[in-house]
Amino acid sequence: MAKATIGTETGAILPASGASRFRDGAGLSRFLLPLGLALVVLGAWQFYVTVSQIPSVILPSPVSIARYIAARYDILLMHAIPTTLESAAGFLLALLLGVAIAILITYSTMAREALYPNLIFFQLIPKIALAPLFIIWLGVGSQSRIAFSVFIAFFPVVIATAAGLLSVDRGMLRLCRSLTATEWQVFTHVRFPMALPHIFSGMKIAITLAIIGVIIGEFITAQAGLGYLIIFATARADTEVSMAAIVVLCICGLLLYGLVALAETIANRFYSADSR
Amino acid sequence: MLSLAPKADVGPIETALVSVAGVQKTYFTRQAPIQAVASASVDVARGEFVSLLGPSGCGKSTLLMMIAGLERPTAGSIMLAGAPVAAPRRDIGIIFQDATLLPWKSALENVLFPVRILKLPIEAYRERAHELLKMVGLAGFEHKKPGELSGGMRQRVAICRALIHDPEILLMDEPFSALDAITRDQMNVALSEILETYRKTVIFVTHSIREAAFLSDRVVVMGGRPSTIILDKAMPFPRPRRFEIEETPEFTEICRELRLTIEAAHGHGQPASGGTGSGKLAGAGASNIE
Repeated sequence: MAKATIGTETGAILPASGASRFRDGAGLSRFLLPLGLALVVLGAWQFYVTVSQIPSVILPSPVSIARYIAARYDILLMHAIPTTLESAAGFLLALLLGVAIAILITYSTMAREALYPNLIFFQLIPKIALAPLFIIWLGVGSQSRIAFSVFIAFFPVVIATAAGLLSVDRGMLRLCRSLTATEWQVFTHVRFPMALPHIFSGMKIAITLAIIGVIIGEFITAQAGLGYLIIFATARADTEVSMAAIVVLCICGLLLYGLVALAETIANRFYSADSR
Repeated sequence: MLSLAPKADVGPIETALVSVAGVQKTYFTRQAPIQAVASASVDVARGEFVSLLGPSGCGKSTLLMMIAGLERPTAGSIMLAGAPVAAPRRDIGIIFQDATLLPWKSALENVLFPVRILKLPIEAYRERAHELLKMVGLAGFEHKKPGELSGGMRQRVAICRALIHDPEILLMDEPFSALDAITRDQMNVALSEILETYRKTVIFVTHSIREAAFLSDRVVVMGGRPSTIILDKAMPFPRPRRFEIEETPEFTEICRELRLTIEAAHGHGQPASGGTGSGKLAGAGASNIE
């Protein structure tokens, strides 16, 4: 008996320590490898620009872009704010609209049969082609860009949320029914929490789409915003500014995505199957 | 209502708490109507433990769901404490084959789930939830989530959940059939211990002959095609029951009688005279019996 215990203990400890060492190594390389690759690419870019004497209109060097960002962060920030706020507004409206439509689809068979095929068909339209129409309908202000952003971003929220709400375990629903639970109780206690992981995966797609929607809107017509700055600078052959605007846009996108991921982490504290 | 004291003086069993009379259930499918229950009549007295025993597809679960008010009978009547069952009722606790726990809630919170749904005061039931979990041997596991518990532990949580609001009747639909044989034996002993403390009227669906004989006051055998009640037999073993009774000759003899009854209705492995197809089907049904 004692022998067997010792045997299993050593048997368990050895591979475990080996595995953890491996995991540490993997954790380190999880950050170092992509960072290293990025640095290598940037270095090669810098080297190529320096050696080939390529004009900065065609390809500015990473160092010069960084220098521009450091010098003119005030201008970039001025343009970043409307883009970020409009993206956030478009995303939030898309989230509300998407979840509302998903709830309608879940609870009304008629709504599901009427809406679902249309939504799928709607999804097949190359929506970017419709962007100019939003300017005609809603004018050149931020409302047209936000509306277009919602238009582009709400669909993944609908699909993900509906999938989540409909995926609820039938046994769980039967238990609720046996306890004389109301539809609202089933929704708040079971359906919605069970759908949350689905909703968050829809939100992560939606946030990137919402930014794309705003940028396209700014490409078409705007007086400010990073999309406007990119088009304006490119037209003036100011590639350095254009590239700097793109870098800032990436940072803004990362920030918004980070907020969604943060919200998911907070929700997971209450609705995760793992222990805290 | 919240009393945890063992109800020792239950008194003589006299009234039928659950009364099933001439119940029939037919599902109307696109091809042909399927008769799940041809005719079933059974009375269950207050405090009695009755098993519905039969092979898969004999309609025993359907009958249980009708008693729970989750399905409506096609014909016949089901009375519960003198009132017809038309919809699910609050004074019933149900345990399904799967534990059906909320994966993000702790064992304790899952036990308290009916309290929340029934809008009862949570704080008044928290202590009871702790005691129930302790009773089923889950003290110290109150804050574990279902993913961290074994199948048997999860089903114990489900039993506590069914008992939390102190229902009059416990309906159990093959609650241990997803568990391994050893855990299942342990669960049977645990369940009879729980019921010694919290006396309930229990209707228990199973396809295990030994399980039915061990747990029940009466075993009602369902079967035949179309399905009816083919035997209603009292289990004469004294309570409290311990696992040793399964080794007695009386127990073996009763299990034999139950098995023979089911085999007589379904034909054990013998091809029916008409064709081998239906014979194989009947054999498969009977071999489902353990």
